[in-house]
Amino acid sequence: MLPLGLSKKTNTFYDIKPSRSNGFETALFEESTNLEAVQTCRNRMSFAVILFFLAYIVLSVRVFMVCLPHGIKISLPDEEYAVRDISVKLPISRADIVDRNGLMIATSLPTVNLYANPKKIQDAKDAAEKLSLIFPDLSYDDIYAKLTKKRSSFAMIKHDLSPAQQANVNDLGIPALEFQTSEKRVYLHSNLFAHVLGYTNVDNVGQAGLEKFMHKRLTESSKPLKLTLDIGVQDTIREELLHAVEKYKAIGAAAILMDVNTGEVLSLVSLPDYNPNIKIPVGEKSLFNFITQAAYEPGSVFKTFNTALGLESGKVKVTDKFDATKPIVIQKRKIHDDHAKNRWLTVDEILTYSSNIGSVRIAEKVGKEGQISFLKNLGFFNKIEDFEISEKARPLYQSEKNWAPITIATVSYGHGISVSPLHIITAFSALVNGGIYHTPTLIKSDTQKVSRRVLSEHTSKQMRPLLRNVVLYGSGKQAEVAGYEVGGKTGTANKADKGSYATTRVTNSFISTFPSSDPKYALLVIIDEPQGVPETHNLRASGWNAAPTSGKIIASIAPQLGLKANFDINAQKAYIKAIQ
Amino acid sequence: MINTKNAITALWFTLTCFVIFGCFILKNQVHDLEQELSRINQNIASDVRNIHVLKAEWGVLNTPERLRKLAHEHISLNKIRAEQIINYSALPFENESSSVAVASTNRKDLKQMVKLER
Repeated sequence: MLPLGLSKKTNTFYDIKPSRSNGFETALFEESTNLEAVQTCRNRMSFAVILFFLAYIVLSVRVFMVCLPHGIKISLPDEEYAVRDISVKLPISRADIVDRNGLMIATSLPTVNLYANPKKIQDAKDAAEKLSLIFPDLSYDDIYAKLTKKRSSFAMIKHDLSPAQQANVNDLGIPALEFQTSEKRVYLHSNLFAHVLGYTNVDNVGQAGLEKFMHKRLTESSKPLKLTLDIGVQDTIREELLHAVEKYKAIGAAAILMDVNTGEVLSLVSLPDYNPNIKIPVGEKSLFNFITQAAYEPGSVFKTFNTALGLESGKVKVTDKFDATKPIVIQKRKIHDDHAKNRWLTVDEILTYSSNIGSVRIAEKVGKEGQISFLKNLGFFNKIEDFEISEKARPLYQSEKNWAPITIATVSYGHGISVSPLHIITAFSALVNGGIYHTPTLIKSDTQKVSRRVLSEHTSKQMRPLLRNVVLYGSGKQAEVAGYEVGGKTGTANKADKGSYATTRVTNSFISTFPSSDPKYALLVIIDEPQGVPETHNLRASGWNAAPTSGKIIASIAPQLGLKANFDINAQKAYIKAIQ
Repeated sequence: MINTKNAITALWFTLTCFVIFGCFILKNQVHDLEQELSRINQNIASDVRNIHVLKAEWGVLNTPERLRKLAHEHISLNKIRAEQIINYSALPFENESSSVAVASTNRKDLKQMVKLER
């Protein structure tokens, strides 16, 4: 089928047939010439027709393509939805951090950076002058130097402009000045979470703390990262610690609160702290996170683990008595009690009166192997790798080969071994929660982290009244909070100084749990180098500063945590009558 | 025969014209809708950004430090003390507690609740 009516039958113009009736002699010759011409003509026509036909097809296809909204594109429906999603996504690349109640702790805000293209600049002096008026923190010379940088087409003038500054720069109408969209990490609570969160650099890369440890997660998913921390509790604890530092003229303080049944950290404070919104010079003392970074000799706090070791080994019973009549000498070193009773003491009394001699006796009864394996099992010999803060201390301890009788003795009361406060509270939680070691965590998650049994439930239950007695009758009296059955242990450790121990510089700790009949939380409070003040009768022992601070903290946070005080009903009735 | 053929050709030609015209109108409408969608998306993106900034601002306004300061200035409430949280049964409502007991005689769960409270 030929278009445009080019068929043999219908075409009368080109289809010339030689006529015999004209009588020419050359008819035969002419006829052949004509036939050739006709053939050529036909071929050309066919060629033209094909060309037109192709052009028509191309045009038709093009018309359809133009008619379709997006032309012809092969795309999967998923991709289309993805494109739509992106259009309403948050313009930030680093996920928010929220507390356990979903309240915002850290976020990123969209900002703009100002940069210049020195190659395009016409009047550098004028531009530098105008810019220095808009940005009083930048000097004219600095800006001028940047604007006149030769062979460069990029010079960063200022990061994170405010909207007003951006409008002012726009009004200058200098074509060489350009804006770059960016984002800035903002820590809403300034100092409150400094040591937990850490900070990021100008390129939004985590440099310390959780920001560094969780950098991948924060940049890969825009879903807010939920922490186990509680803003209210964190603030209460920080306030109390600030008061304590001021009151006891200490150089620093720290505290950590843990849910003993999950290993979740509800609060982590280390003083002095810093404002992560402001750039802090590296090496600054306030950057040091005492809870995770410090490997310190915990002192008498460690006696709780020593007592548990004795009970767990089966070689020691709560009712057993140990000779604490006089100091003991091991490898020429004399070990004595600070508050010597000079008599035989029960296991309960050893803990209540914080007897070094008694603790040594318990450890000696269990022996080297038992002590090492028990402490190892409680995680005292390993860095807690999984905890979501990048700065963590590795414990310091004697190698098994050098674990001499004097090591057994000193470790029993918390000397000759250095661990971080995080180690202590994690192990302590296992001690009181029924014997399960939960890996400490800062991230709220539905799936629980690794946990393992490190102690029998029986030993754990035996430990609770012993700790309670320390607060009721021993060195921790000032930590008592009516109704919350606080149980704990004090620890006053002299600081190591040039190979020996300093006499006036101490690190005080108080580890506690509440309510001790069914422990829910563990709290470790540390006060670094407190001084004796008139209120404490010029004493600097833990029972006079760390213990009362813990008591105040527990009294404030227990109602916040929804813990019901366990009061005697009759006492309550009497209380109501008294206030009526 | 030729007439019929021409008529069919003409019909197809007209139909093609209509289809092309229709397609162009459709395309224009889709184009307008696309523009509107993109505008709405831009507005949503801007709103999302603004809400995000407002959330951050709300977070700053709700910092415990600021709330404490405001509470100190405007309301005279002290921190709650442990002894202020007491058992219901310790409250001196003798008559009311007995009426609860009477009302609960027919309800097993209420009975248990009262028992637990005591």
